[in-house]
Amino acid sequence: MTLTIANLSAGYGRTTVLQDVTVTDIPPGAFVGLIGPNAAGKSTLFKTIAGLITPSQGTLTIAGEDVTHLGRKDRAKRVAYMPQAYGCNALLSVFESVLLALKQTTGWRVNDDNLDRVSDTLHALGLSHLANRGVADLSGGQAQMVAVAQTIVRAPDVILLDEPTSALDLHHQLSILTSIRNEMDRKKPLVMAALHDLNLAAKFCDRLVLLREGAILADGKPEHILALPQIEETYRVLTDLERTQRNVLYVDARLA
Amino acid sequence: MTLEVDPAAIRHDYVARVSRRYGVIAAVFGLLCLSFLLDITTGPGGYSLSTIAEVLVDPMSHGARLKVIVWDYRLPVAVTAVLVGALLAVAGAQMQTILNNPLAEPFTLGVSAAASFGASLAIVLGFSVIPAVGPLLVTVNVFALCTCGFILLATRLKGVRSETMILFGIAIFFTFSALLALMQYMASEDQIARIVFWMMGSLSRASWEKIGLGTILLCFAIPFSLYRTWPMTALRMGEATAQSMGVDVGRLRVEMLICISLLAATAVSFVGTVGFVGLVGPHIARMLVGEDQRYFVPLSAMVGALVLSLTSLTSKTITPGIIYPIGIITSLIGVPIFISIILSSRRERLQ
Repeated sequence: MTLTIANLSAGYGRTTVLQDVTVTDIPPGAFVGLIGPNAAGKSTLFKTIAGLITPSQGTLTIAGEDVTHLGRKDRAKRVAYMPQAYGCNALLSVFESVLLALKQTTGWRVNDDNLDRVSDTLHALGLSHLANRGVADLSGGQAQMVAVAQTIVRAPDVILLDEPTSALDLHHQLSILTSIRNEMDRKKPLVMAALHDLNLAAKFCDRLVLLREGAILADGKPEHILALPQIEETYRVLTDLERTQRNVLYVDARLA
Repeated sequence: MTLEVDPAAIRHDYVARVSRRYGVIAAVFGLLCLSFLLDITTGPGGYSLSTIAEVLVDPMSHGARLKVIVWDYRLPVAVTAVLVGALLAVAGAQMQTILNNPLAEPFTLGVSAAASFGASLAIVLGFSVIPAVGPLLVTVNVFALCTCGFILLATRLKGVRSETMILFGIAIFFTFSALLALMQYMASEDQIARIVFWMMGSLSRASWEKIGLGTILLCFAIPFSLYRTWPMTALRMGEATAQSMGVDVGRLRVEMLICISLLAATAVSFVGTVGFVGLVGPHIARMLVGEDQRYFVPLSAMVGALVLSLTSLTSKTITPGIIYPIGIITSLIGVPIFISIILSSRRERLQ
């Protein structure tokens, strides 16, 4: 199920965020990292692929089929999107919350296959022990894992993860991305993930797409992309900040 | 992630929990039946249970007097209590879900204020929207539904966000409260008494026609709610998450809002503004079975029906010979129960 994004422009109201974005031929089983600073348009690109924003121009094709104007429910069968927002106060167990994600695109009645899929997904992501826990009682990291489970359980062609590791410590960042990779080996979906940690992106992704100010700056293998001078330029604000923090640490150490 | 559990075990846990839920629903239904029977048998006259049962089976078995008491008075009141409780609790459950707010109830968007104004208009000016059908019922209904129209219009202009809906609801509430105060200012003493009595809520306005109408509405609302069960449950995970799962949140809210308005407007036009049932019914149901709407909505209806049925029973038994307005009883008796439930409920209630 190859995904192709061609000349896509989209935004909110009169504000255009994405300008003429083209990413061709993402093959099934590929893990694409979407990198770029905050407000680069990563979430907007995901929302447009997921069908939550109607593009002003351009097309989206999955396996050669134009899905640009596919309805919301039909789109949800093929594209599963995990938004950044998580955490809620609903009185639902983890098992139920994953089940409800699956039931949005399958029939009304809960059958044996549904229950198997939910328990298998929880098991595959190492969440079995949380199955009976209430979703409101989860830690930030656990909630994020459950959100990933809600996305994977639907077994879509395309999985979009908006910062799947933002609330996690390093150990869990690695474990969540490893779980996703294992899932991909089993079911061959295409995964696009917005990542801020370039080391993780380099370790797990087959391909990186660098987005800045709504336009694609670079697209290619991680080792090529991360060696580009644009990377340093794009993330300079970040490195400046790091330098400042290092100085602060140094001063703190001297004061102590 | 060291505590691994067998997938078959977690599946089994879920199935066991589902059967426990059916157990809870059956238990509440049993209590409801019991309360309904007590409601019919209680009242001035002191007729025995067997006498009442015989009249229920064969209306003329104990003469015309008892037929009138049971069939024209006690039964309509008892059925109306159950019906209105269910209507309000289902509306409350839906309102709490679409606004993602546990404090919401069917009257949050100003339906009760509009209905009270409609009633005062009918009482003071003899105003009637459709004169042939009688002033009060239709006028109240029309005004209650007007609020729904306002809110829908507002969502067209400003988008279907829960904050927008609540703010418009508050605006509607204050507008109609002010208009109601104006009507009371213009009314005579006798008319003021009638308006106040109407607002306190009373089951004595029961009739078989109203019961028929309410039943039809409930027979539409609960299946509709069940049909929309998965998107509604998803909405509890948050608006962004529900949208990402393919739920058209805006459309779902509008659909539910129309359903809620119909339910709330009908309930209000039957018995007056009986608050609280629409808030407490869903709360108790949620604590018992969680928020999977397949169980939550039907149980809300049953708990709401049980609360109002018990209220009807209590309103007759506090002082023999006097029937207190149910609006007063629901709050006075319900609030302590409600608070004790909140205080005693623990986090592990899902287990």
